[in-house]
Amino acid sequence: MLQVAQERAHKIIADPRFRHLASARARLRWSLSIVTLIMFFGFVALISTAKSALGAAVAGSAVPLGLFLAITMIIVVVMLTGFYVYRSNSHFDELVCDLRQEFSR
Amino acid sequence: MKIWLAVLLTVFPVAASAQAVAATTGRATNWIAIGMFVVIVAATLVITYRSAGSTKSKADFYTAGHAITPLQNGLAIAGDFLSAAAFLGISALVYANGLDGFVYALGFLTGWPIVLFLMSERLRNLGSYTFADAAAFRLEHTPIRLVAAIGSLVVVLFYLVAQMIGAGKVIELLFGVNYLVAVVSVGILMILYVTVGGMQATTWVQITKAALLLCGGTLLGFAVLWHFNFSFATLFAAASNIHPKGAAILAPGGLFAEPVSAISLGLALVFGTAGLPHILMRFFTVKDAAGARKSVFYATSCVAYFSLVIPILGFGAVPILMSDPSYFHVNAAGQFNKIADLIGGPNMAAIHLSGAVGGPILLGFMSAVAFATILAVVAGLTLAGCSAIGHDIYGQVIAKGRGSDAREVWVSKVAAACIGAVAVLLAYSFENQNVAFMAGLALSVAASCNFPVLVMAIFWRGTTTRGAVTGALAGLIGSVVLVVLSKTVWVAVLGFASAPFPYENPALFSMPLAFLCIWLFSLTDRTPRARCERNAFDAQFVQSEIGVVLPAEGCALAEAAR
Repeated sequence: MLQVAQERAHKIIADPRFRHLASARARLRWSLSIVTLIMFFGFVALISTAKSALGAAVAGSAVPLGLFLAITMIIVVVMLTGFYVYRSNSHFDELVCDLRQEFSR
Repeated sequence: MKIWLAVLLTVFPVAASAQAVAATTGRATNWIAIGMFVVIVAATLVITYRSAGSTKSKADFYTAGHAITPLQNGLAIAGDFLSAAAFLGISALVYANGLDGFVYALGFLTGWPIVLFLMSERLRNLGSYTFADAAAFRLEHTPIRLVAAIGSLVVVLFYLVAQMIGAGKVIELLFGVNYLVAVVSVGILMILYVTVGGMQATTWVQITKAALLLCGGTLLGFAVLWHFNFSFATLFAAASNIHPKGAAILAPGGLFAEPVSAISLGLALVFGTAGLPHILMRFFTVKDAAGARKSVFYATSCVAYFSLVIPILGFGAVPILMSDPSYFHVNAAGQFNKIADLIGGPNMAAIHLSGAVGGPILLGFMSAVAFATILAVVAGLTLAGCSAIGHDIYGQVIAKGRGSDAREVWVSKVAAACIGAVAVLLAYSFENQNVAFMAGLALSVAASCNFPVLVMAIFWRGTTTRGAVTGALAGLIGSVVLVVLSKTVWVAVLGFASAPFPYENPALFSMPLAFLCIWLFSLTDRTPRARCERNAFDAQFVQSEIGVVLPAEGCALAEAAR
C-alpha cells in the first residue's frame, strides 16, 4: 500500500502544473510571512531605538507618528491576508482543481 | 429538563446574592446589566438546546460536521480569540500606558497573517479534528499525539484558569455576586455548552459574542468620538493633559523599551496565536482549505477592526474618567492614583467609560458584553481541551482509532466536565494570587511547543518522530521552567527577592530551543522508521497542497507488515 501511495505521490509531484503550484504558492507564502514579520519586529525594534521620534506628531495633524505607523500596519495586515486569500482561492485553486480531477480516481 | 436546571442554577444565585451584596456594600445593583446578562445566558442556552439535536456523530461534536460557512467561522474565530483580556485588558493597557497598549494589540493581530500563510490550508488538508491529526500525519501516532495533547492541555488549562479568574472578578464587580458563585456559574455554563451542544453550540455562542462585542465596541467608540466632536486632536490633547504620564502616553515606551523583552513578548504574541489549540481546531469546522483561508480573512478583519477601536476606548477613558473622582477610591486627604485607584482596577476602564458616556443602559450592555466575551472563550477552550483528551489520547492512542464514535464522544464529554471542574477549582484556589503569568505562559507554550512541532512536521521533510517529540518537550519544559524562574512567578508568587531569569517572557529562548531540538534530533535519527517517515513526506506534501487523499499507511504499520 505504502509503495503505491509513494508512486502516485511522485507522479503528482513530477507534474509540471503541480510544480508550478507548489513553488509559486511557497514563494507567495514565505515572502508575505517575511514581510509581515519584518514589519512587526521592525516596529518593535524602532520603539526600543527611536522612541522619541515616534511620539512626534505627523506633519499637519495631531496624530503621533507611532500611532500613524501602527494604524498603517493594521491596514497592511488586512490587505496582505486579503491578497493571499484572493490569489489562493482564484489562481491556485484552479490549478488544484485541475490536478485533483486528473489524479483522483 | 437539564436546561431549566441550569437556568435556575445560574440565575437564582445571581439574583439572590446580588441583593445581599448590594445591601452590605451599599453599591446599587445594576439591574439593567443583570437583565441583559440573563437575556444573553438564556439565548446561549436556547442555542445549545437546539444544537443538541444535530450533535450526534464524532464529526458533529468536534467540528459541527465540517458544515460551518467561512463567514460564520471567521466570526467564531474572532469570538474565540478576542478574550476579556483583549477587550478589558488592552483598553486598560492603553488607559494606563497609552500607545504601548496599541502595540500589544498589534502583536495579537500580526499572528493572524502567519496563521493564514503557514497553517490554515495545510492544516485543513491534512487533518480532520485536532491539530495533532496534521502533526502526526506521517509520524508515529502515539508519541506525537501524546505530546500534542499535553501541549494543548497545558495551554488550555492555564488560559482557562486565567480567564476564569478574570471572569470571577469581573462578574463580582459588575453584578455584585460572590466570587465563588460567579466562577461556578461560568464553569457550569461552559460545561453545558460543550457537552450538550458540542462544536455547533460553541460556534454559535462565539458568533453571538463576536457580534455583540463588535457592536458594543463600535457604539462605545462612537460615543467617545462624539464626546470629542470627532476630533482626534481634541481627544489626544485632553488625554495627555490629564494623564499622570503626560504627553508620554502618545509615544511607545515602557512595555517595549527593552529590546530583548520586547522581542520575546512579540514572538509569544505572534507565534503563540499560530499554536493555540482552540484556534487551530476551528479550521476543521469548514468544508475545505478554501473555506479555512476565507475564514481567516474574515477573522483577521474583525480582529483588525477591533484593534482600531480599542485604543479609542482606552484614550477616551483617560480624560473622561480621570477628571471625575467618583470613579476612584479617594483617600481621606482627597487624593487618588489616577490608574491604580480606579474602582475595580484599570481593567474596568472600558466598563466605567460606557457608564460615563452612555449612562446605565450602555453600562449594562457593555457589562453583559464583557460577560458574553468570557463565556465564548472558555467554551472554546474547554472544547479544545476535551478533544485533545477524547480524540488524541483516548481515540487514537488508547483505542488506536478503532473505538466507536459514540464511546469517543462520551469520553470527550466526561473530559469536558472534568476540565471544567478542575478550572473552577484552580480559579477558586488562585483567587487572590497574582496570575499575570498564566496567560503569558499559555501563549509561550503555544509558541514553543505546539507551533514548532506543527510547522516542522508540515514543512520540513527531515522531521522525524524522535525530533518532534524531543523538540516539543524541550519547548514545553523550557517555557514552564523559565516562567517559574522569572519575576512573575519567582518573586510575585513564590516570594523570593530577585528572579534568576531576568525577562518576563521566555519565548525568545524556548522557541529557538524547540526548533533546534527538532532539527538536531531529527537529523541524527538514523533508524529505519525515520527513513520511512522522510519518504512519506511526498505523500503528505501532495495532500497538503491539493488535498487529494492518497491511500496512506503509517510507517509503523508498514514496518509491522514487513
